[in-house]
Amino acid sequence: MSQSSSTGSFDVASLVEDVNLRRVGQYALVVFFLGFFLVPLETGIMTAIKTNESVARSLPFAPPVGEGFTLGNIQFALEQLSGSFFNSLVMSIPATIGSVLFGSMAAYGLTMVNWRAQMGVLMLFVVGVFVPYQAVLVPLARFWNNIFPLARMIEPMVASIPFFQGYHAELVPLVITHIAYGIPICTILFRSYYQSLPNSLVEAGKIDGASITKIYRRIILPISKPMFGVVFIYQFTQIYNEFLFAFTLVTGSDAPAAPVTLVLPAIGASTSGIDFGIRMSAAFLAAIPTLILYVAFAEQFAKGLRTEA
Amino acid sequence: MGQIQLTDLTKRFGDTVAVDDLSLDIADEEFLVLVGPSGCGKSTTLRMLAGLETATSGDIYIGGDHMNYRVPQNRDIAMVFQDYALYPHMTVRQNIRFGLEEEEGYTSAERDERVVEVAETLGIAELLDRKPDELSGGQQQRVALGRAIVRDPEVFLMDEPLSNLDAKLRAEMRTELQNLQDQLAVTTVYVTHNQTEAMTMADRIAVMDDGELQQVASPFECYHEPNNLFVAEFIGEPMINLVRGTRSETTFVGEHFSYPLDEGVMEAVGDREDLVLGIRPEDIEVVDAATDDTAADAALGDHELRMDVTVVEPHGDQNVLHLSHPDQPSADDALQAVTEGMHLVTRGDRVTVTIPPDKIHVFDAETGTAVHNRRHDQEADLTQLEQ
Repeated sequence: MSQSSSTGSFDVASLVEDVNLRRVGQYALVVFFLGFFLVPLETGIMTAIKTNESVARSLPFAPPVGEGFTLGNIQFALEQLSGSFFNSLVMSIPATIGSVLFGSMAAYGLTMVNWRAQMGVLMLFVVGVFVPYQAVLVPLARFWNNIFPLARMIEPMVASIPFFQGYHAELVPLVITHIAYGIPICTILFRSYYQSLPNSLVEAGKIDGASITKIYRRIILPISKPMFGVVFIYQFTQIYNEFLFAFTLVTGSDAPAAPVTLVLPAIGASTSGIDFGIRMSAAFLAAIPTLILYVAFAEQFAKGLRTEA
Repeated sequence: MGQIQLTDLTKRFGDTVAVDDLSLDIADEEFLVLVGPSGCGKSTTLRMLAGLETATSGDIYIGGDHMNYRVPQNRDIAMVFQDYALYPHMTVRQNIRFGLEEEEGYTSAERDERVVEVAETLGIAELLDRKPDELSGGQQQRVALGRAIVRDPEVFLMDEPLSNLDAKLRAEMRTELQNLQDQLAVTTVYVTHNQTEAMTMADRIAVMDDGELQQVASPFECYHEPNNLFVAEFIGEPMINLVRGTRSETTFVGEHFSYPLDEGVMEAVGDREDLVLGIRPEDIEVVDAATDDTAADAALGDHELRMDVTVVEPHGDQNVLHLSHPDQPSADDALQAVTEGMHLVTRGDRVTVTIPPDKIHVFDAETGTAVHNRRHDQEADLTQLEQ
């Protein structure tokens, strides 16, 4: 009897019990920050698909109505950016692969192989992380322009590759610079991961008769796949978004080899004023490759962060 | 041939001496167990044998060839690691095959065949296409063994290979390992900190402490004729009873009791003053005493003591008794004794304990070396065992 009565009545008080000030505060905070991050994004997207007139007349975050909607901004921005997209990818993909691969190799050599003066070399890598960009700009420009003008030397060679023009040779020094600058941080990231791996794997490899390079290629490289995901995303974002080196070595937004970051500030700006619709469209288009990368590597990324922790 | 010779082997890490002037001969096809507490240098010794550490000084010979400067691959050895060190991204088949890839004289098909052959010997043929993380601990252990066997080495090196298994599986693998070693007739050096493993598996045990070799002998000898206090304490479960004390004339005077030493022992003791008396728990004879204390006390023989039972640990086949002196009940256990499982003693009983004079060990308290070990007529003991 007592059982039926307890299940029959719906206990309203238990609902209220869960609601207390602390919980309310927590949810309020969550909602606030959700808005804080999402509203600017939404405003940007809305501006990108509005006509100039609509941008001027409606609230920034309001969606376009009727005549105010256009895809013209995006189309225009895409035309302006298409060449520099290609440049950016030609630059950042090899530079990322190079620095990540070399970083992993260096970390392997510095963590899992024993040799003298290891600590000294590692210190050089650590110092390399902290060398400020500004300090090397002038020497860098002089080196690639006067001392070792690699771009001019390989220009005819690059021009003969299908889909490439002679001016793409200007990106090669940039790629090499990015690789050199990326190796230290990649090495440090990989090192912390390799230190967490059991040493017995390498030792077992040695007993099995594998050489140092074979152990790297067949054992360490496959095991560090999740870490590659993390470092690859990090390094690609860094290089793709980088401005200073590109500006120094390629010079200016009107250069044919200019990557996206150089072209972006010039789009939609003219003597008659700033076209916000085109600017926003260009900004979103420029961000797409990094977004794609995050989505594509999301699983590896999460796995890598987990294993590192 | 897989005989191993270590001469004056020393390994220093900075200022610490991990292995100190170790000399050891291991016969072909022998199963030698290196045993000692953690940090005693046993693993370092094994790793020097494997070529994973370089010796600071001394020489290593395997099969008569000087090994110091050879890489592990060229030493004709195989090693099983404590954590198995299976390559996590490879299948069992690839794991076992990996070591074979650098061996000369095989065609690709022969390598595949050999892997299957080894897997069948170990009973893991149906697991060949699984990854290590899909295997149980015992199966991983077998794969690690397979990886060692596949190259058909002259010497197996094993670094605490059973320590990650649960007790039941460990006992199983122990016998299996022994059978396997017998079958393959490969010299084996096995490192463990577990004295039971050492006792049950070894042809000979090498006991190490603090980088130094304490004794190399058969399990029987290590147990009954320990070289020193360390070996006596380390080998045997429950531990040997050790009583510190001094000699006055021909009597040993300990904290809880005094014990007359007979002529043979006195001869060995000479004029040493500080002694340690040792007696294995199972050699102590426990008799239920008469209820009348005074009468029992009066009837005590030379080698008999009256003691209280403070704790009884039944093991089924045997009971371990913790005994303390009646006059100092709060003091630590004076002795531990092992009685038969059917011999029921309850906590709080007062018993008469006999320490047979022919079963005692006497050690020099200062140096720890054994001055007298229990008398046993080896041949008589052995014939008894054979009956």
